Amino acid sequence: MNATIISYLSQSKEFNLIVAWFSELFGFDATSFVAFNLFGVFALLLIGFAATVGGLGTFAERKISADLQMRQGPNRVGPYGILQFLADGVKLITKEDIIPAQVDKFTFYIAPVLCLVGVFSALSVFPISSGFILTDLNVGIFYFLGMTSLVGVGIFLGGYSSNSKWSMLGGMRGASQIISYEIPVTITIVMMVLLAGGMSMGILVSSQGSSVLDWNLFHNPFTFIGFFVYFIAALAETNRAPFDLPEAESELVSGYHTEFSGMRFGFFALAEYIEVLIVCGIATAMFLGGYKVPFDLGTGELLNQKLGLDLMLAKNIGQFLEIGSFLTKTFALYYVVIWIRWTLPRLRVDQLMTLCWKYLTPIALFNLIGCAVWIYVFNGQSIVQLFSLLFKSSGGGH
Amino acid sequence: MFNDFLFLASAALTLGGAFAVVWVKDLMHACIYLMASLFGVAGLYACIGADFLAATQIVVYAGGVVILMLFAVMLTGGASNKTNRYGLEKIHAMGNTKTKMVAGISAFVIGLVILKIMVSVLKAQPVSQVGANENSVEKIGTLLASDHILAFEISSVLLLGALIGAAIISRPRKEIHD
Amino acid sequence: MISLGSYLAISFALFILGIAVMIARKNIIAILLGIELILNSAALNFAAYTKFVNNNLDGHVMSLFIIVIAAAEAAVGLGIVIRFFQLRESIHIDDAASLQN
Repeated sequence: MNATIISYLSQSKEFNLIVAWFSELFGFDATSFVAFNLFGVFALLLIGFAATVGGLGTFAERKISADLQMRQGPNRVGPYGILQFLADGVKLITKEDIIPAQVDKFTFYIAPVLCLVGVFSALSVFPISSGFILTDLNVGIFYFLGMTSLVGVGIFLGGYSSNSKWSMLGGMRGASQIISYEIPVTITIVMMVLLAGGMSMGILVSSQGSSVLDWNLFHNPFTFIGFFVYFIAALAETNRAPFDLPEAESELVSGYHTEFSGMRFGFFALAEYIEVLIVCGIATAMFLGGYKVPFDLGTGELLNQKLGLDLMLAKNIGQFLEIGSFLTKTFALYYVVIWIRWTLPRLRVDQLMTLCWKYLTPIALFNLIGCAVWIYVFNGQSIVQLFSLLFKSSGGGH
Repeated sequence: MFNDFLFLASAALTLGGAFAVVWVKDLMHACIYLMASLFGVAGLYACIGADFLAATQIVVYAGGVVILMLFAVMLTGGASNKTNRYGLEKIHAMGNTKTKMVAGISAFVIGLVILKIMVSVLKAQPVSQVGANENSVEKIGTLLASDHILAFEISSVLLLGALIGAAIISRPRKEIHD
Repeated sequence: MISLGSYLAISFALFILGIAVMIARKNIIAILLGIELILNSAALNFAAYTKFVNNNLDGHVMSLFIIVIAAAEAAVGLGIVIRFFQLRESIHIDDAASLQN
């Protein structure tokens, strides 16, 4: 079965104590009951964390864009303005929920919920660390692909249900953009699955080493190009600038979320920021070594032996260090995403489609075939390994 | 115990969605209920232990077919004339009570026929070991590349044909003015 | 207790509902929705037999091919619907009756 957070926690004494206590209380074996409740608790924790990061993402965007434009961002609410996202949240919640009279009510209610459900479901395979990943599905990355497609359906329904021409145009552009850019994303993911040997997030991350040179980014030139292809295509999938034509504020009067007010608009915006977080996280996991820290602290061996700590405590410390390493890399990519938005102008819709179909898709296919040929010819060794073999053999085997 | 709960929830979603596809009046809503039903089927695949199949179902159907249907509904919207070529009034496009009654009766009759065929299968169930859930991705990959390679290659040709065919059939044509 | 019979019952119900959709609706796209339900019921049947009767995953491969074929058929079917709409300006199935009588 899959390795989940519960299978990691069940190694600890406290978990077994809780299970024994509940078994006494109920009379039957309470392992699955405790597991179910703990899953719920951790899922809520992860959703809360992602929503906080999404909210802080809006704040970070305003601060970083201010920095790029040589002005101050929000700096009144809280120290350095960091509570600004809470103020925005309160404003959105207390706004009047205006529903125009001619909208299609069922679709209007369901569209923002679909976006958010798709994004939150993709969080369940978010690879923050080797033990704390919520569930390490065998088909993890494939499931992630399916759930991000749900956001496209939500955008289309949002545009359609608003019964307004601006929204309809924005919705159709958004949906066609998402389904077009899914193709380079999928082909690049297939290439990385081929390289790593499995679809689960754990296998994708552990196929890379701990030091920088062992990352999948530097494995062969095809994965190097593949990283940029994935990054650009995934950025376009999240409707993020310079691909934000569906929600173009200067052209389409805010596109597909024109008619949504208050927290419904908040759902769309939150779904976009959390999706950027997820896309950066998956890019980190596939290309930048994910949560791997040097010295392989994840299993707690080093701390156990050198410092003599208890094994479970050492493992937990290793897990938190892994989470820290993963979040550092993800937030670095997040900064790059925000940087790109405030630097590049918006693409026209035909330039967008040309970029996808005439440039990114052929490059992704070429990468896939090239990577497969590389694996066959060099037995799956990276460039770094090949060079070290070359130097060793030319050194006469010393 | 929670496997049973997952099975009941997925079955309810599947059958509820399918039933709603029969009854609702609006075509967009019917497409959304179809998507819900297909998610339920994906949940049922997950109950069986077919993880790759469940993920494929979600990717292909929710991310592909449903969006295709929604676009087609969008592109072919618009009211049409209410009378057909004989001058009689056309039946409402989403079915009125008479068509639903006819559908119910014919579905009932077909159901009885199928049950009569199936009753021998249902009675003669072999009580064999129910296999444990296992990692099916590598095994399916091996099967696709060894036992079912012909079907695999033919399906790729089929998809190519469908891609080109659908694009050519529905492309806009230039009006030829004399 | 979940057995093979429950999965067969669900796929049977899906099949019946798919046929009901195909008969009750007069819109061509709605009929295609019914076709999708029927194909899914067949795929569910194959997958259920793999789990409960023999464990050699051929049923899963068959379900995969059914999914592939259903997607291709939906694409071509919707292309035909769009062409029909371009010609006749309506997607009512009673308008597709020029070969009748």
